[in-house]
Amino acid sequence: MIAKKVSSNVIAVVLALFFAFPTYWMVTSAFKPTRDLSSSSYDLIPLSVTAQNFAAAWNKEGFLRSLGNSLLVSLTAVLAALLVGLLAAVAMSRLRFKGRKGFVLLMLVAQMAPFEALLIPMFLMMRDLDLLDKLPSLALIYFAVTLPFCAWTLRGFVNGIPLELEEAAMVDGCGRWGAFRRVTLPLLGPGLVATSVFAFVTAWNEFLYALSLMKDQAKETLPVWLSGFQTAFGTDWGGAMAASTLFTLPVLVFFLIVQRKMVSGVTAGAVKG
Amino acid sequence: MTAVHTTDAGVPTNKSAPRRAAPGGAPRRRGSSFDRLLPYLLLAPAFAAILWLIGWPVLSLLVTSFRKLNLKELTRGEVVWVGLDNYTEILGNPDFWIITARTVIFTVAVVGLSVLSGLLIALLMRQVSPVVRIVLQVTMLLAWAMPLIAATTVYQWIFDQQYGILNKTLVKLGFDGFAGYSWFSTGTSTLAVIGLLVVWQAVPFLAFSLYAGAIGIPRDQYEAAAIDGASPWQTFRSVTWPELRPLVMMLTFLSMLWDFKVFTQIWAFRKGGPDGASTTLPVLQYLEGISKSHFGVAAAVSVVMMVLLGVLTFQYLRRLIKQEGTL
Repeated sequence: MIAKKVSSNVIAVVLALFFAFPTYWMVTSAFKPTRDLSSSSYDLIPLSVTAQNFAAAWNKEGFLRSLGNSLLVSLTAVLAALLVGLLAAVAMSRLRFKGRKGFVLLMLVAQMAPFEALLIPMFLMMRDLDLLDKLPSLALIYFAVTLPFCAWTLRGFVNGIPLELEEAAMVDGCGRWGAFRRVTLPLLGPGLVATSVFAFVTAWNEFLYALSLMKDQAKETLPVWLSGFQTAFGTDWGGAMAASTLFTLPVLVFFLIVQRKMVSGVTAGAVKG
Repeated sequence: MTAVHTTDAGVPTNKSAPRRAAPGGAPRRRGSSFDRLLPYLLLAPAFAAILWLIGWPVLSLLVTSFRKLNLKELTRGEVVWVGLDNYTEILGNPDFWIITARTVIFTVAVVGLSVLSGLLIALLMRQVSPVVRIVLQVTMLLAWAMPLIAATTVYQWIFDQQYGILNKTLVKLGFDGFAGYSWFSTGTSTLAVIGLLVVWQAVPFLAFSLYAGAIGIPRDQYEAAAIDGASPWQTFRSVTWPELRPLVMMLTFLSMLWDFKVFTQIWAFRKGGPDGASTTLPVLQYLEGISKSHFGVAAAVSVVMMVLLGVLTFQYLRRLIKQEGTL
């Protein structure tokens, strides 16, 4: 029995090493001087540390520009998807009307639409709209990719907020909009944060459309820029690892925020008192 | 799935209606017609966006797949109908069948491996001490959160021919043949590395979901099994598996959807190479459509992708829609 317990723990630790190693290797490589990287010596732990790779990546042609492009496109798309998705979620969850079932199904199916397979018509459509090589085309597509997901997930979060809370506010003299704004919206906070983080990560990661629609280098997003690191960095693995670390950082921070918000469980016990 | 949430919020409340209506009109009626319209107003932006940016492209994809549309036709704005020519062209090409088979095998292997690993890790997490569990969860979160391209770049560095840590380690362990070994010289080996990367990033989400499902299984069922003297395998088969089965099915279905369309990693590694040996359907679609500007042919490839995806996920999709229909 004890032997079994110990062996499970050992397996779990080995798995933890397997999952953590690439991250560890990315960060430590980013801090290693170039001469340590291209050498045949064996160093799992860095012997000397330098910030020069980060400086090199930061100052590399195109890094800041593509970072700006990525932020602009992702944030615009996610904000729009969140707003439009929230309106739809509230309607689907709180209101009763003809065709509601149809809308819910439409959202479910749209959420599973394989966007990668729509590359060709999207490309042609953006060409007709004269949006090729223009960032709004990416913002539009990322909006479309994340919208069904946002609407669907937010619907779940709205469902989770007891209607009695809104009704109580209406008894106390709030209008329907007032009740929604003062009661439901604040309680929806964590759900909105979680949804927006996942939507943001989707847009932040997107590669196929960014590669296909933005042929102009000035419009590259960060993933496309980083994928060409071998042309940008040569065999400068330190610079590539530093750039990857910088690319990972915002996502990691966002993930940690959601983790904390998700466990806080704001509505727990709200009706009991 | 219960239907508790459509209560009478949609019914107009007289409290709010008159306040919104203009004075002197017929407040009640105007209020209620606004209320009747409200859901549609709220849904209109989402509905319009989905029709425009998903519905229309799907339609246009089907139409394009029956047209000859290369750069010449595109710049001149010509519409040339060719019937099924695009389909006969791709289906008549033996390479296409190899690529299709490769895509299906890659998808099934990656999905199978990641769902199985996710399940095993979820069950393992129940057995280990809390500290070890938290460490494992944090490291999995790291793998999950890493952006695709960052992960791809790191894997290329780890698998690097000359200075990669993997080859160095293997040589140190006595496998001298791995000095300067190239992991990307064949398509199978390239896809194996890519598959490992995809599984590594997919397992955390699967393990977290299945762990959440596993800790929800009532404890007394296990106690009953223990009293009956069930072996661990019997306990798994008669207690754990029946409870987790629906969740495993859903996760398998979702993984199919996600892993079938893997493009980023394959392209970033070797652009479908060496010599096209790691090309899958999404890569082929990109090469035909965007690189060569054969939009009609590429559209036919996309349609085949959609059909295959439909076949792979049909059973589950049907059940899901039936279930949501009862909402």
